[in-house]
Amino acid sequence: MTRRGNCRYTNGVKPFRIAAIYALVAGAWILFSDRLLAALVPQGAMHVLLETAKGWAFVLVTAGLLHLLIRRSAEGMRRLDAEVRATLDSIADAILVVDAEGRVANANRAALDLLGVSNKSEILVPLPDFAARFHMRRADGSPLPPDGFATLRALRGETIRGYEAVYRRTDGRDVFVAVSAAPVRVRPGGPVRLAVAVLRDVSEERRFDELRDEFLSTAAHEFKTPLAVIKAYAQLLRKRSDGEAPALLVINRQVDRLSRLVQQLLEVSRFRLGGPEMRRERYDLAEQVAQALERTRDRAEGHRLLLVERAPAPVYADRERIGQVLGNLIDNAVKFSPGGGDIQAAVRRLEREVEISIRDAGVGIPREKQGRVFERYYRAHAGTHEDYGGMGVGLDMSREIVARHGGRMWFESEPGVGSTFSFTLPLDHEGDDAQAG
Amino acid sequence: MPRPGSVLVVEDDPDLVDLMAVILQDAGYRVATATDGLEALARIEAEMPSLILLDMRMPRMNGWEFAGEFRTRWDRSCPIVVVTAAENARLRAEEIGADGWLEKPFELEDVVRMVERHVGPA
Repeated sequence: MTRRGNCRYTNGVKPFRIAAIYALVAGAWILFSDRLLAALVPQGAMHVLLETAKGWAFVLVTAGLLHLLIRRSAEGMRRLDAEVRATLDSIADAILVVDAEGRVANANRAALDLLGVSNKSEILVPLPDFAARFHMRRADGSPLPPDGFATLRALRGETIRGYEAVYRRTDGRDVFVAVSAAPVRVRPGGPVRLAVAVLRDVSEERRFDELRDEFLSTAAHEFKTPLAVIKAYAQLLRKRSDGEAPALLVINRQVDRLSRLVQQLLEVSRFRLGGPEMRRERYDLAEQVAQALERTRDRAEGHRLLLVERAPAPVYADRERIGQVLGNLIDNAVKFSPGGGDIQAAVRRLEREVEISIRDAGVGIPREKQGRVFERYYRAHAGTHEDYGGMGVGLDMSREIVARHGGRMWFESEPGVGSTFSFTLPLDHEGDDAQAG
Repeated sequence: MPRPGSVLVVEDDPDLVDLMAVILQDAGYRVATATDGLEALARIEAEMPSLILLDMRMPRMNGWEFAGEFRTRWDRSCPIVVVTAAENARLRAEEIGADGWLEKPFELEDVVRMVERHVGPA
């Protein structure tokens, strides 16, 4: 639609043209009607009477026209309103509109269905009441701080995408929703008048994810008994017949590899299913990085694994999980630099956090695939000459582990030059004090 | 008194039962086997072993049920070592108050070492 698109609702008559035509006709009438009257009717009582009647008639016609115009315009507005309403109600995703005072000002049919309410007035309440009523939480069940509501952030001018939250319906059932929210400005660059939030029900997808994770967990679990039998028999045979040793050595190595993959699959699915709580302890992350490099050293013969920068880094973290993250990043660095070269790890201490980076001089990540690197099951090098295997679960899990500790993970990569993966963890200042004392 | 050196392997996978028997017999131990908890209880009625290697997930009577029943009937007359594919073998062992755990897949030496620790050298 063009700027004049709204003419549909005033039946194609533009305000300026109406006013111009009116001015023209009325001007001509004032100019000529008096002269016409003077020419036709001689001065006198009759003339005065006709003058008055002419004035009355003019007012009458003008009033009639005004009435007609206003009615048409109001009809247009009503139609516009009805169409907007019907459009909102036909949208399958729930829509909430919040006004500048932080009050839910409007909601569509899907929003009522999503929350299980029958009457719109039940949800047209201030946001804090709304949040309390529907037990709003983050996707992991943690409470949402009042200024963290997506719509409130949108009222401050932010556009939020793909934010996940949980609502409790009036029937007590929890729904998982993906929320996106945006500020509404009537004029471009003008003040934010409203915020609009779109809530998509992702409960089904989540349930499917959970089922899949449970399936993976069961499958990985079931692999372990046959693996145990094959591995042990290979070892037994090797002990008994030295002649067959090389072949059995290969079997053993491959079984170990399969075991590692199965273990990785189990860890991911267990982690995804919520698994055991994090077991945090206070320790020096720099020491752990050094150990992780040491452990990889004999598996990376063509590489030099260097700790180029090191600072004491006390953290309060789940040592095993962070160990998985480091193992993942270092393994990737080795895997994706098949030509060998230096792998440089650095432990940098910032003001409130510690930054770990692992840099390789490897194949790098193609630019067009960089955006998907952290996606679960995504393998940037799948089917290319640089496909060195793996299941595409390591980075996704690593990033989530880091996020659960309150840190961030990112990377920089130049195809043909190499990649640097970095993450931060909050520093544990209590651990600092302990070290100082 | 249990005759020294007898190990009861409770495991529903026949190949794994055979494997355990081969490993332990090679190391010089006497081995009895059962494919589920009920069968294991019957074996123990006949002869108290000096160690039980216990799988957790089995048909008819699983490891948890077996451990409960065993403790009720015979208290702590012989140590139990859990052999499991569960990702947290140690937790499983703690759950039933077992004396040790082996995680699948294991190294040959791990099995022998574990048996040695509880029964002594064959």
